[in-house]
Amino acid sequence: MRDPFNILVAGVGGQGNLVCGRVLAEASVRSGLRPVVGDTFGASRRGGSVLTHLRIGKIDWAPLIPRGEADIILGLEPLEALRAASKFAGDRTVVIVSQTKIPTVATNGETTEYPSLERIIESLNKLCKQVIVLDAEETLTHSGSMKMLNSFILGTMGALTQNPLSLNIIREALESIFGPDSNNILAFDEGARLRQ
Amino acid sequence: MMTASKHVTIMSGNEAIARGALEGGIGFCASYPGTPSTEIAATLQRIAEEHDIYVEWSVNEKVALEAAAGASWAGVPALCSIKSLGLNVASDFLLNLNLSGTGKGGLVIVVCDDPRGHSSSNEQDSRFYAKAAQIPLLEPSTYQEAKDIIPYALKISQDYELPVLIRSTTRLSHSRGLVTMGEIPKRTWKAEPLVENLFNVPTPHLKHRDLLKKMDKISEVFEESLWNTLPSEKKIDVLIISSGISRRYSEDAINLLDAENIGVLNLVTTYPLPNKIVSAAISKAKQVLFSEEIDPFIEEEVRSLAVELGNIPEFHGKRNGTIPAFGEMTTDLMREAIANLRGIKFGKTKQVESDLLIPRPLTFCAGCTHRNFYWAVRKVRKRTKDKLVVAGDIGCYSLGVFYDRAMTTMQAMGSGIGVATGLGQLEQFGFDSKVIAVAGDSTFFHACIPGLINAKHKGANLTFVILDNETTAMTGFQTHPGSVHQESRLNRVKIENVVKAIEPDFFARCDATDIPKLVDLLHSTINKEGLKVLLLDSICRLEVARRELATEGVSFRIDKDLCKGDRCLICVQEFACPAISWDKVIGHPVILDQLCVQCGACVAVCPHDAIKEERTS
Repeated sequence: MRDPFNILVAGVGGQGNLVCGRVLAEASVRSGLRPVVGDTFGASRRGGSVLTHLRIGKIDWAPLIPRGEADIILGLEPLEALRAASKFAGDRTVVIVSQTKIPTVATNGETTEYPSLERIIESLNKLCKQVIVLDAEETLTHSGSMKMLNSFILGTMGALTQNPLSLNIIREALESIFGPDSNNILAFDEGARLRQ
Repeated sequence: MMTASKHVTIMSGNEAIARGALEGGIGFCASYPGTPSTEIAATLQRIAEEHDIYVEWSVNEKVALEAAAGASWAGVPALCSIKSLGLNVASDFLLNLNLSGTGKGGLVIVVCDDPRGHSSSNEQDSRFYAKAAQIPLLEPSTYQEAKDIIPYALKISQDYELPVLIRSTTRLSHSRGLVTMGEIPKRTWKAEPLVENLFNVPTPHLKHRDLLKKMDKISEVFEESLWNTLPSEKKIDVLIISSGISRRYSEDAINLLDAENIGVLNLVTTYPLPNKIVSAAISKAKQVLFSEEIDPFIEEEVRSLAVELGNIPEFHGKRNGTIPAFGEMTTDLMREAIANLRGIKFGKTKQVESDLLIPRPLTFCAGCTHRNFYWAVRKVRKRTKDKLVVAGDIGCYSLGVFYDRAMTTMQAMGSGIGVATGLGQLEQFGFDSKVIAVAGDSTFFHACIPGLINAKHKGANLTFVILDNETTAMTGFQTHPGSVHQESRLNRVKIENVVKAIEPDFFARCDATDIPKLVDLLHSTINKEGLKVLLLDSICRLEVARRELATEGVSFRIDKDLCKGDRCLICVQEFACPAISWDKVIGHPVILDQLCVQCGACVAVCPHDAIKEERTS
């Protein structure tokens, strides 16, 4: 494992970024590693860009991932995945991105047009080593709602080979936070199944 | 707090500080919520009963520090945790308390600065208050230190009867890592009668002399302190002197560049500066690089110390522009600075086409009644042909500055009514705009009452609007004197009664969900003479969701036959609720059910009656 191993969760306020960070930090501790978690968000409580930085290692690292140094980016939203990648992606970055858009809000009488998914994916491919695009909507309408997207994407990440935290340990961490009967566990398993 | 094992736990810097307060044996905590400091007192409040300590959200930071000093004087160990701007509010008292002394209990002040002003109206370095007040300053640089420093600070405070200032910044306070916990001691103190001479007159200058003597002694203690980490390298070309979370950025940058012969001197006891430690370290280095947030505080202390040394190394930092003298410290800044000093090259990241990264602007939540108020301001501003100024204040409603400039000024807590008091006297000089001051409920209690009394006493011509959602919404719903939901033992103070006691020339209450009524009331009120006060019964939808009282069985849709599509766009572009989105394919706006809180405000906003309420099963 690279030390530190850097995971970045990118989303919009209310999507469950912070919970992702908590689950992965707990999983790191269960793996005998030291996690440092940093969250960045503006003054808005809902609807703004939110980043959760997770750095895993044998020692404590700085709370924010340096430019170009993300190993994995979990994109809960396409535009936010691209925003994160534009700063933190580099030659070794793997991006897992949900394709479901959250529209931006107009201000001062101007609506900026949300870019097409194709252009976002194309840019992500230029910036990163690998891009995995998820269509979570169909799956999650069965097992719960898009509120479970964070658990779903954690499942997909857990099934990646280039990841120091095992699928089982992330699942245990999720259970320790939500309880074993939560729909989040179902969503996690669905996410993991995608990669198996 | 999350449990990893019995003694090792993942904590934020703020949670670690709260734990440290317990392990230090603190019995009294007073605070006013403010990002990034809030979680310290919030954590202590959650466990107050279990640990038999007293914790309060005071009405403002000055009162909080005064209350904590009272406890300390009576022998009760006290903590006062506040944000940067909060220390400004408390500073008047602090610069008396330093001379009077804190008695036997001990008093630790934790100030959390917000470099870059993520959640602040300014950017400021509060360490200068330690120098201004001549009190000891400690800067923890890890989560573990954030916890362990509190008992140490309390001991220093008790030994020298001085307030001790601990300074954190956003990234330490709000990031999380592993902390090994210690024991919570058995209580050894009890409240005692006050000591004598708790004032500075008639000879404050002699109290000042005595304070300086205490600081000389503390300086000797800091020289021997194990809190400061010395560089371990034998050969040092570049010495980095760091403090706080900047320590980690320095270590990170050295690791990324794989740079050699670079040592880090990390200082935790930053005022008074441990001169001997610093002199010994810099005498071995060719170059010294400073890594600190926000101002060159340590840098300037070290530079003035170096004047007394024979061999002065080359200094790099905020003073010569190697590091920007504003904003947050980052690993990237340190990496660039070290690379430049050592002639190391490193790869830059690729760029994205700039038109792709459209912003997510700061905005009011869906259903927030603050949007309704500012909508009314915009309507009334049109009616007055732009002859309207809105002196704003601090809270979620500060976002009015981004909402079609519906708020004109925004500085410190309570300054809206103060500024308006001045503007309301300018008619004789030809000032012909109507003056509105805006404040939230918690801000009203914090700092608006003197301004409001001044307005009444001086006969200022203004309209003061209080956006009363009955909670401290911005920082996480802390109870304030006017909150409807009061914890036991607390007595509610009603804003209406306070305002009426001041006897404004006109007073009215209005339901902030009723936009047409709001527009008319605001318009008619500003045209009256004298001091007018409007109390708007407002709603924080997050608070409602938190208390699970959300509306059910109702939804809203846009009637495509009545909607004028892209010829209008008032609901999407101008009212700009996050729950209304433009659908390019169908050429009409749509309501996003997952974001809509069914407040119905948009119904009144649409001039074509195209937004309809529907009953759902």
